[in-house]
Amino acid sequence: LSRIGLRGRLLAGFALLAVPPILLLGFSSAALLARGSQRAVEQRLEAALRSAQDELDRRRQAAAEQAERMLSDELPKTEVAANPLELAGKLAAASGLDVLEVLDAEGRVISSSHWPAGFGFLDRDVVFPGQDAYRLETVKAGHGGVERLAVTAASRGRWREQDVLVRAGWLVDEDFAAQLSALMGLDLALRDQTHGRWIARPGDALHGWLSPALREAGVGQVALGSETYRYAARAVVPGLWLVAALPRETAEAVATDIRRLSVALAVATLVAALVGAVLLSGRIARPVRELAEGARRVAAGDLDAAVPVQTADEIGQLAESFNAMTADLRDSRERLLQAERVAAWREMARRLAHELKNPIFPIQLSIETLRRVLDQEQRGEPVSGKQFAALFRESSETIIDELGSLRKIIDEFSQFARMPRPQPAPTDVNALVEHTLTLHRARADGVAIETELGPDLPPANVDRDLLGRALGNLVANALEAMPDGGTLRVRTAAEPPGVSVQVEDTGPGLNEEQRTRLFTPYYTTKRGGTGLGLAIVQGIISDHGGRVQVRSEPGQGTTFTLLLPAAPVPKEAGAQ
Amino acid sequence: LRRAARRAAALAAAALLLSPRAKAALGPRYGGDLTVAVLTVPSAPDPRVPRGAAESLIALLVHERLLRLDAAGEPRAGLAHDWLGSADGREWVLRLAPEATFHDGAPVAPADVVRSLRTFLRGPSIAADRLADTLDGGAAFRAERSDELPGVAVSGAEVVLRFREPVAAPLAPLAAPSAAIVSAAGVAAGPFVPAATVPGRRLALTAFGAHVRGRPLLDRVSLVTAARADELETEVLTRRAGLVVGAGAWGAPAATLLLALDPARAPFAAAERRASVAEALARADLARRVLPGAERPAGLLPPALWPAPPSESEAVRAVPPRAGTPVSLLVSAEVPPLLSQRVMAYLDELGLDATVTAAPPDRAVASGGDARLFLWSPEVPEPELALRELAALGPAVPGVAEALAAAAREREPARRYALLQDAERALRAAAVLVPVAVVPIAAHAHPRLHGLAADRAGRLLLEDAWLEP
Repeated sequence: LSRIGLRGRLLAGFALLAVPPILLLGFSSAALLARGSQRAVEQRLEAALRSAQDELDRRRQAAAEQAERMLSDELPKTEVAANPLELAGKLAAASGLDVLEVLDAEGRVISSSHWPAGFGFLDRDVVFPGQDAYRLETVKAGHGGVERLAVTAASRGRWREQDVLVRAGWLVDEDFAAQLSALMGLDLALRDQTHGRWIARPGDALHGWLSPALREAGVGQVALGSETYRYAARAVVPGLWLVAALPRETAEAVATDIRRLSVALAVATLVAALVGAVLLSGRIARPVRELAEGARRVAAGDLDAAVPVQTADEIGQLAESFNAMTADLRDSRERLLQAERVAAWREMARRLAHELKNPIFPIQLSIETLRRVLDQEQRGEPVSGKQFAALFRESSETIIDELGSLRKIIDEFSQFARMPRPQPAPTDVNALVEHTLTLHRARADGVAIETELGPDLPPANVDRDLLGRALGNLVANALEAMPDGGTLRVRTAAEPPGVSVQVEDTGPGLNEEQRTRLFTPYYTTKRGGTGLGLAIVQGIISDHGGRVQVRSEPGQGTTFTLLLPAAPVPKEAGAQ
Repeated sequence: LRRAARRAAALAAAALLLSPRAKAALGPRYGGDLTVAVLTVPSAPDPRVPRGAAESLIALLVHERLLRLDAAGEPRAGLAHDWLGSADGREWVLRLAPEATFHDGAPVAPADVVRSLRTFLRGPSIAADRLADTLDGGAAFRAERSDELPGVAVSGAEVVLRFREPVAAPLAPLAAPSAAIVSAAGVAAGPFVPAATVPGRRLALTAFGAHVRGRPLLDRVSLVTAARADELETEVLTRRAGLVVGAGAWGAPAATLLLALDPARAPFAAAERRASVAEALARADLARRVLPGAERPAGLLPPALWPAPPSESEAVRAVPPRAGTPVSLLVSAEVPPLLSQRVMAYLDELGLDATVTAAPPDRAVASGGDARLFLWSPEVPEPELALRELAALGPAVPGVAEALAAAAREREPARRYALLQDAERALRAAAVLVPVAVVPIAAHAHPRLHGLAADRAGRLLLEDAWLEP
């Protein structure tokens, strides 16, 4: 958790606060919708069944009226010679009846509208038990006849001096099912359980339900083909059922739509909350992050780092304080640098005055000596030629020596001032060390020189001449620090990411004040030294991007360590 | 041509003298396009055994045979101008009419006749079977045991038929529609020329001016399919067609409504069960109340083919079938629906649970179902050939083939008639084919259509038909 940033923690917090309530709301509304949808489907199916039953009852009632009317009004008007093949058909067509038949007392068909070919034969239609209103009538179809369910009513009376039964009614067939289905917007059908067949509109999925076990108890569910249906059933008469069915997808379409909308809203809310959290956490975390970045830059020495102040709140005040702090630091550094520059100039003036004063004084003395001899001659106090010659030689030699010292001082200053820019190249440091020591062995009187050169040392990325000069200075210093002999030890080693070179002497060592000022130009502890040697070393190493470390204690000798950058690995090698 | 000239002269005179209404009353006239609505338009009018009224109509419109049979069953000129038999009755010489030409203008040559007869003899026609049986080398040729057919030869411009022995009605098979003569390129020589065809939907025919009996009166005959079978008659009523074929009742009873009971199927395997069906059908009731114009059948053949009604067949004891026995009944689409439904009601009354399926005429005649109900008229209106055709509709009935073979050899009419009656009675007694009614041709003509005729086999003839303007 500690590795997670401030923004991540803010986001997690937002998520923990926002997601559970949204999910809870989504699930609870989905459950409520499902329950409501189920109830609505049940009500819709039951309403459809009630309507269909009402329609059947209405037709039965109307059929009874028609049968009575036929017997009392229409049949008496017919001609005696009327063709029995056409008699009932014409009456039925005029009254809009699907079924009309006149039977004699034995039950033989005198005339039938729907099965004219059956005249003279016994009416053998199948009747559903319990109520003879529902019958399977043989109806003409093409060249034959088919059985069709009809809702009928009969009326008995006398016609043409014989007892007759008039039966009238309407077919309850595919058209009936199709009309009611279209009217109610669902699949409505009748199931003849006795004969195992459906009376449903053509293509209705219920035709595929081969053995339904129907009961009048709520809503059931059945898979027909690739769809699942919700259905309800109602017994019209024993063996004859009304069945209303809805594809589950259709039944739950509204609920599904609302559920989808709820899910969409929940997701949108969730996304909005997350986006808001991201933006808000970013807004909160950004100033803190900028402060952290600024602090990191200051720590790295970049005192120009500043943090934008965007708000007036605590974070804004913190940013202002940070900026004020860095401004103070910059001022302090400027002042420090200024003081250091003044101190350095003073030190340089002092050293320069001191160094120049030393040779000038002997020169002045020598010249004054020669003038005093000349004045002595002019006063008539002759000086022997031999004396004069000795005096002149001594004075001139002194002057020449001191002028040499002056030139040396000027050369070193000039060299320090004109330090060239390094031209780094891969350099074998071990070889350079060996070369440098070779140059200085002649001066190592009484000093033992030892080397511990690291094997497989990687090449350093340095300017060979400049590093050679730096090494030479260190070796010269070490040798000068051991006038009475000692040991000079030079070590090289691979020090990732570069190479280290240690120059160690067993001289008197340095105290703390000496260590502090060791690299200050013109600071020296040696008589005749310019104080520029180590300053040059530090300048060279710094220009290479390296560092110089010193470890020394009084009486413990001194060790300088140069940390040099390694040469870059050739690309080919890297590729391999 | 003489007939055409006379008609043309009469029409010209009438046109000058009479009003349009009176002109129509005068009689035949050239011109007019007749639309004939049918159940299905046959795909290709090749010579073949026609099944159903539409195929029969097209066969006689497009094709011409060597001979036709008149109302008395006697040969009449077709492409053959005249014919002469040898004294022993074994050789017949047919001379082709000099004006006989095919629709493409090519003259009908004896070689065309021989080629057409060779095709006919190897076809499925029962008439071809009879001819092959009696011709010299005909049986081997029909059985494809030999390509030689010495019984049919060319002699100059004449065709010679040689028979194995003298036979009765030797030339009758040549009147079969499937014995029509076509050229080597398949071109016919009938009174009308096929002009345009939309397969299964429309066939247009135009009058053939060079027909052997002269140009027909109508300019054009178009056969079209009706939208629905039960709407056929409304085609005429609404004047969309001048003639419908396949519905209605036209002319005298000419076809037999047959109920074929398949003895190879369980419900009718026993002769007693079949007899019960035959007995249950109240034929007089059917003819009187269900199908106006129909008659109670006296036998299997239409009355036109019998000089006198045949005697009753020997009764077989009738045993009703088991109640509830399912029966599939295949009904030709040409059978009037009410008639089919009444037959179904009879079967139901017998206790059979009948399921009816309508089928095209050719399928209903051929096979399928426990029972088949179809209108039947012979390919050749000659009693012996007709009985042969009926005998072929079911399994062999003992005694029938022998009686028919004897009738073919018997040239004395009375004895021959007796033999044919024996064969018919035997067939009827088997109750495989139950005659239900003799019905008129299933057609309905608009009152404007005149000159419509039918041959002895109950086939419509449009050759002399004309339309009142």
